Amino acid sequence: MSNILAIAHKELKSYFASPIAYIVIGLFALLYGYFYVAILAYFVRQSLQMSEFGGQGPQAMDINQQLIRPLMTNVTILVLFVMPMVTMRTYSEEKRSGTIELLLTSPLTDFQIIMGKFLGALALWGIMLLVSMIHLAILFVYGREWKPLLTAYLGLLLLGGCFLSVGLFISTLTKNQVVAFMLTFTVFLFLWIITWIGSFAGPTVDSLTQYLSIIDHFDDFGKGVIDTTHVIYYVSFITFGLFLTAKSVDSERWRA
Amino acid sequence: MIEVQHLTKRYGRVTAVEDVSFRVERGEIFGFLGPNGAGKTTTMRILTGFIPPTEGKAIVAGFDVFDQPIEAKRRTGYLPETPPLYPDMSVIEYLTFVAKIKGVPTAERRQRIQAVMERTRIDDMADRLCSKLSKGYRQRVGLAQAIVHNPDVLILDEPTAGLDPKQIIETRELIKELAGDHTIILSTHILPEVSQTCQRVVIINKGHVVALDTPDNLTARLRGSETMYVQVDTNGLDAAGALQRIAGVTRVAESDRRDGLVGYEIESQHGRDVRRDLARAVVSNGWGLLELRPMRMSLEEIFLSLTTEETPTPMPAITEGEPVHE
Ligand SMILES: Nc1ncnc2c1ncn2[C@@H]1O[C@H](COP(=O)(O)OP(=O)(O)OP(=O)(O)O)[C@@H](O)[C@H]1O
Ligand SMILES: [Mg+2]
Repeated sequence: MSNILAIAHKELKSYFASPIAYIVIGLFALLYGYFYVAILAYFVRQSLQMSEFGGQGPQAMDINQQLIRPLMTNVTILVLFVMPMVTMRTYSEEKRSGTIELLLTSPLTDFQIIMGKFLGALALWGIMLLVSMIHLAILFVYGREWKPLLTAYLGLLLLGGCFLSVGLFISTLTKNQVVAFMLTFTVFLFLWIITWIGSFAGPTVDSLTQYLSIIDHFDDFGKGVIDTTHVIYYVSFITFGLFLTAKSVDSERWRA
Repeated sequence: MIEVQHLTKRYGRVTAVEDVSFRVERGEIFGFLGPNGAGKTTTMRILTGFIPPTEGKAIVAGFDVFDQPIEAKRRTGYLPETPPLYPDMSVIEYLTFVAKIKGVPTAERRQRIQAVMERTRIDDMADRLCSKLSKGYRQRVGLAQAIVHNPDVLILDEPTAGLDPKQIIETRELIKELAGDHTIILSTHILPEVSQTCQRVVIINKGHVVALDTPDNLTARLRGSETMYVQVDTNGLDAAGALQRIAGVTRVAESDRRDGLVGYEIESQHGRDVRRDLARAVVSNGWGLLELRPMRMSLEEIFLSLTTEETPTPMPAITEGEPVHE
């Protein structure tokens, strides 16, 4: 465990030693803020209209349905762009600079190295999510509807974990960061649009692609519901991504 | 301490190392000598568990590198060809990280790091970023990293490559100091290094062991014939004829002449010591004997003759040049 933490700590520190951490955190916070303001403005306009037509004012409107859910849908798109930047260098850079030789000749198991790298990246994602919460502080101040927010954030953490595990795997395939980024982004895009393909292709395919689509599993979290099937789905997805990473690292050893 | 048995490594159709076997005893400094592409790095990577062998096995500090990798790695320090530094860490951060993953207990960590920094003379660079270090210092940090967990076995891939002469001497001294409590394998293609630092040498070429012996024995074994140098005072007479008549001498050549002193290179049959007869001949002719010494063939020459000789079996295809580090 201390080995895993040592690697995770080193990973997290290396994100902050390079511009990467600041770029992804800044980009995420900025775009998140933009979506938040845009959706909030729309929400306020809607509620004002409602009160003009004799409604009971903003409070009566469903903040969850009208604000948090659309916000989270947009945030999942951000994940698509930001995550490849987080994972692109994890293995690629170690291979390029030769530090992989230090890791692989130290008394560490592959599992410890992979888990360390994964947790380091997940910690950065956690920090990004924390920073984004500043925008939402106002909703907490009003003291309402904090539960769907918490579940949404749990969902985001898991959703991000899925992308990270895939990104980690892809970064083991090349020592070129740019290639790693492009490949990761392409795969993420595919994982994201898979639902649309399904909706064109008829009901059986549709249910299959809905199951495969990482995004579809997020929906309930946005509604404030923690459904164990979705949690299990995400955890299995992450496990599978890390398993692929382990396989790739191991087969690399035989080829190298 | 280290035992390598019939090690073979193939990269696809390229055979990097074939049927290499040797033993290294505790406390020994063992040299790995060979030209570019000989398979030095490949062998070291197998010994450190970085890559598995295609065939054969390696036992380091009593543990099979392949079957019990963690135990073997715990007892091994490794300096790869390029020191594996993280550019964005300071020297002390880097060594702390390495100490953690090598399993140095937390209580001892600080003191261990201080000790290795002093030993490798990098303590004045403790807070410098690794990316800002000169080549010599990178190499030293690489060495510090390799010994931070006080391993039984040290594997150093070209530890003096790219250093200036002063640093080379310092590094060699350090390696000799370390030899007491560590068993060391070092690779090099600098020949004087081997005769200066190593107790035994294996010479490999195109993945094959060509010779394995002490530097002295290798020198002796390779002298097909022995050569002596004598300097005599003959008052200007030519001594070549008289020296030529000595039994066992095969060739006499004048090498220098100055102020009536003449120097000769005398070749004799292998294994035949002609020094006594030489001295007697000089004295009985009434000349002055000023110098008599064996001329050793330098290790350089041995090396050339070893690696330029053809191996009896036809070689599999071997690509030359820099290995592709995947
Ligand atoms: N990853 C690899 N893939 C394919 N071939 C490789 C790989 N690594 C090394 N080789 C080949 O194996 C052979 C031995 O290489 P190795 O690096 O062990 O030589 P070396 O003795 O360390 O040479 P140098 O003195 O240049 O460091 C070379 O022919 C090299 O091209
Ligand atoms: Mg080499």
